[in-house]
Amino acid sequence: MNCSEPFGAAVLGDYWLGVLGGGEEEVLEEHLFGCDECGARLREMIALADGVRNLAKEGCLRMVVSEAFLRRVEEEGLRVRQYTLPAGGEAQCTVTADDDLLIARLAADMSGARRVDLSIRDGDGVERLRLPDIPVRAGASSVVYQESMTFAKAAPDNEMIMRLMALDEAGERLLGEYVFHHTRSLPGPGGW
Amino acid sequence: MRKELSDGELAVQIGLGSDAEAEGELYRRMAPRIRLYGLRHLRDEQAAEDLTQQVLMKTLEALRAGRLQTPEKLASFVLGTCRISVLDLRRNTQRRERLLEKFGADLTAPAQAWLPPLDHDQLARCVQSLRERERSVVVMTFYDEQTGADVASFLGISEANVRVIRHRAIQQLRDCMGVAG
Repeated sequence: MNCSEPFGAAVLGDYWLGVLGGGEEEVLEEHLFGCDECGARLREMIALADGVRNLAKEGCLRMVVSEAFLRRVEEEGLRVRQYTLPAGGEAQCTVTADDDLLIARLAADMSGARRVDLSIRDGDGVERLRLPDIPVRAGASSVVYQESMTFAKAAPDNEMIMRLMALDEAGERLLGEYVFHHTRSLPGPGGW
Repeated sequence: MRKELSDGELAVQIGLGSDAEAEGELYRRMAPRIRLYGLRHLRDEQAAEDLTQQVLMKTLEALRAGRLQTPEKLASFVLGTCRISVLDLRRNTQRRERLLEKFGADLTAPAQAWLPPLDHDQLARCVQSLRERERSVVVMTFYDEQTGADVASFLGISEANVRVIRHRAIQQLRDCMGVAG
């Protein structure tokens, strides 16, 4: 294989997603019917997309998600365990073997915040992870955070503290703190 | 074993009469391309496989009957046949309903069997290492194939920015996974 004008990953990704313009798509398809090298690259792109899709379904990513995403996973029959907390709230929580996704809805007044970080701390208040500059829709009154189900299912009894922080030139400002008291309900002692 | 034939030579060879080796070469050469096209447009592995069989059959019929005027344009002929066949499949609602009934929720599931293997744990690390917005764009885009407008609305940015972020994130994932090019 020796393609003189290989199509880049961005174009192949757009093609797979169906967002190329009609003319561009036709040109690419003509090329793909004569170039197995680019065909192989497209298959790599599809495998990547497929892999990301599977990761999302497994609930093993730590990330902020949208309401549309949650609706879609529920439509697919995945079981979503959700905890909704106001700023300053606490929750007794657990996960079972049947749960697919673990969601925390963190309510806060985020008006005026130009950048919001999510800080995840242990029971002693030591920061263990920070998700900087999380996506926050304008006018949103809460953040929908997905905790890793792999992490949660392995967890022993523990306490986790989440903080939403606004950042600007003046520094860091607490938008809300949320405390989760996790009780292990799966067999075994658990442990990370 | 004879030398590899060009598309035009292959088309001529098949047109000359029964030549199992040439017909096998047509299958070997064109089937992966048709399957890829089918997967892109039909979003279903089985439907893509059906399309492959259907298009190859039509192509062989045309070649055996000498209906391909310009043998060098074999690939274009196959692509054209793919396009017409996919349109037919879409028009044929009975067949679509049958596919839906048969494959149900899996209709949108991408193919697994003929895709290159991917290190699942490494991909998880790579996705997790993306910036928050990049991860959101990649996951929302590939999980649900959401439109740029939906993702843009969630992130509060323009569709053009979503596209830039998606391209950058895809490249980072490929680099992180050690995919060349």
